Amino acid sequence: MISKAESYRLLWDFALPAESLTASGKWVLGAMQSEGPELITMLWRILGNEQDVCDAYQDTFLHLAHCENGIRPRNIKAYLFRSASNTAISILRRRLIEQKNLPDVAAAAKTETTADDLDSRRLQLQLRYNVAKLPQYLRDVITLHDLAEFPYARVAKILSITETSARVYRHKAIQLLAVWMNKEE
Amino acid sequence: MKNKETTNCKDIRGRLNKIISCYLSFDAAWVQNHIVNCPKCQKRFSSVGRVYLALSLLKSRPHQLDLLRQANIQTIDTLAHSVRQHHKADKLKIARPEPKFIERLSPLKGSLANTAACIVILFLARMGIFNSMEKFQADSQKAIEHYYEKQVGQELSDEIFSTRLSSPKSI
Repeated sequence: MISKAESYRLLWDFALPAESLTASGKWVLGAMQSEGPELITMLWRILGNEQDVCDAYQDTFLHLAHCENGIRPRNIKAYLFRSASNTAISILRRRLIEQKNLPDVAAAAKTETTADDLDSRRLQLQLRYNVAKLPQYLRDVITLHDLAEFPYARVAKILSITETSARVYRHKAIQLLAVWMNKEE
Repeated sequence: MKNKETTNCKDIRGRLNKIISCYLSFDAAWVQNHIVNCPKCQKRFSSVGRVYLALSLLKSRPHQLDLLRQANIQTIDTLAHSVRQHHKADKLKIARPEPKFIERLSPLKGSLANTAACIVILFLARMGIFNSMEKFQADSQKAIEHYYEKQVGQELSDEIFSTRLSSPKSI
């Protein structure tokens, strides 16, 4: 992780002219200040792991800073939340593959939990991995409406769809999740 | 005319939505009766319930208070030197999640409403609305006195109004 951070730092220091960096940096910091807390909450709910949340957060803001050569996007909020959701889902998928490839590590992680919260953790894990399996248009609505807790109007604005479509997609997503989680049971 | 029609449409749509949501929700009696007797629907209902339960479990698990600070530090460290030196960056490195302005005001809702009411009353008094109301009352009383003088005579009218002024509760 440190090496990744160092490489990004070097990229930023030498790859772009200093003036454009200062100009872009200000609005990136502004976006971090205004959207940071909500973004962290959403990422935490998707990933459930602090280090992964920090990585996804970092990637999201680096994407934003590099977006169209440092030009500020029209709707920063929409860009941030969609980008963060996609980054988090790809991290989640990577974790799923790791768990499949390294069953011993997964088993060790399971034994660390107490018997009381085992069921609830399993249920949360099941939901996370099934959300990652959803098609993107359904997944976006679930992450924004249920995990980021945005109202339908805001979700519709971020995803550039109508409010009714957002409601329908959410309903479909819940139905799919229910079927998949029931099968696993 | 057009406005009236629009209002009617809105009313009707609102009523229809209410009726439909009452009739078609999971809490509707006919739905509940069906679920009780249908094992397939019971299964479906319970699996949807599991999803909602998992969602609420995800929401109820809080993160560490300094997660935002950690994430900000990690992210800012990867930005350009000039950005890292910006005063906003220093603020972000010690940032903690705080409740929104509206959430912070929610315990003061009652007292804020009372204060607003007091301000409105003071504003009305300042505008002279209360003074003009008193003036209007006095004028109307004079008009009634004048009417009684005409109808029943000066003496009787004086008697009635002097009694009324001396003991207003008895009238």
